[in-house]
Amino acid sequence: MAVLSVKGLTKRYDNFTLDGVSFTLQPGRIMGLIGKNGAGKTTTLKSILNLVRADGGTVEMFGRDFLQNEQQCKQELGVVLGGIDFYSHKRLSSITEVTRRFYTNWDEQAYQKYLDMFELVPSKKVKELSSGMKVKYMLALALSHNAKLFILDEPTSGLDPVSRDDLLVLFRELVRDGERSILYSTHITSDLEKCADDITYIKDGKLVKSADKGTFIESFQYLRESGEDRPLSLEEIMIRTERRGYDV
Amino acid sequence: MYNLLYKELRLAAHPNLFVFTLLGALVIVPAYPYGMVFLFGCLGPYITFTYGREINDIYYTSLLPVKKRDVVKSKVALVVLSQMAQLVISLPFALLRLRLLPEGNPAGIEANVAYYGFGLMVYTIFNVIFLTHFFKTGYRVGWSFLWAIIPATLGVLLMEIVVHFPQFAWLDSVEGAMLFRQLPILLAGILVYILGTAIAYRVSTKRFDIVDL
Repeated sequence: MAVLSVKGLTKRYDNFTLDGVSFTLQPGRIMGLIGKNGAGKTTTLKSILNLVRADGGTVEMFGRDFLQNEQQCKQELGVVLGGIDFYSHKRLSSITEVTRRFYTNWDEQAYQKYLDMFELVPSKKVKELSSGMKVKYMLALALSHNAKLFILDEPTSGLDPVSRDDLLVLFRELVRDGERSILYSTHITSDLEKCADDITYIKDGKLVKSADKGTFIESFQYLRESGEDRPLSLEEIMIRTERRGYDV
Repeated sequence: MYNLLYKELRLAAHPNLFVFTLLGALVIVPAYPYGMVFLFGCLGPYITFTYGREINDIYYTSLLPVKKRDVVKSKVALVVLSQMAQLVISLPFALLRLRLLPEGNPAGIEANVAYYGFGLMVYTIFNVIFLTHFFKTGYRVGWSFLWAIIPATLGVLLMEIVVHFPQFAWLDSVEGAMLFRQLPILLAGILVYILGTAIAYRVSTKRFDIVDL
């Protein structure tokens, strides 16, 4: 059974339309959602989470309609919205004390384990954490309520290469047992070369392709120029697909 | 519900909300326009909503295993709790002043039964406009406050001015018979507050349901 199944997701704004995006995420896999800035990655994730009200389409999470079963689905969901700080003047211990009350599966021992593992200090305030540590704190919360699906919006943007690599290793570890899955939006395609199993590519609000990484890369090799014999990377695929000319 | 309110108090409430709530004690001041107490009861939620926007509280709440409408429920519960707490805090001071300051309040209305009835109506005016306007967007706090605080202030002014007219002197009294005569105003205030808050909640949830965060 698919962990997440998105069908025909549509959201219309005055100057932008997310147009019938569909993809499926299987258990134990990391899916990279790629596209340039403004392509609709965040709108897709927010529409999935009902933070943005979609004009069309359906979202099934753990085999259930998300809108009809929002509370139950969220019990098994962990979300990291990159670049958004929550309660920056509050201590981690205060946020945890509130958060744990909402989850029926909260595991305090697991929480303590992940605090130690990620070297998080509960008495620290959110504003005292680095960007990477903020992501890790949100992951620690999600892991402590036994989340099965992690939706991450640009979690590695703005991080130094070492912190990014650290998180990518962590993401691979999270899905290793085949029980958890990650949907992860980014425009840093090199990260996905390292850790993604599947790629979903959105351009100007439309789905270009969603497939496992090998098939995805293979399907864009027609973009190779004469004399090129090595396979194109994700970055080259994106650049060549998005490239446009200027008549100045 | 309890968890939502706990989250509001622990994470989302600005410290000034507690300070303004405690200002219910101002009814012990010898000469003071006590209507100001109700305006402080409106100012506290405004500051907390502004603070909530800066700390992305609505985002965080929306990601918790709750329905989107619970975000509204959570905020409405906090506003009601702070205003009711303010009134409860003011009560012992209102009783105390009867003993300590029997000569009355020369600046405006006494802290009597009618005062609390009017106060609940002032809260209602503010809550209905502020909450329903705010939840159209989930972030426009300033305009929502402005639209709401002007009529609420006019309500307070009306209450403070009307007691200076001889034919309404009974509204300014703390004598037993007059307090009894004021009772319908309190009952009307309670009814208006309950109905107004319920309407504010219903309209706000409908509006917030289609807001894009």
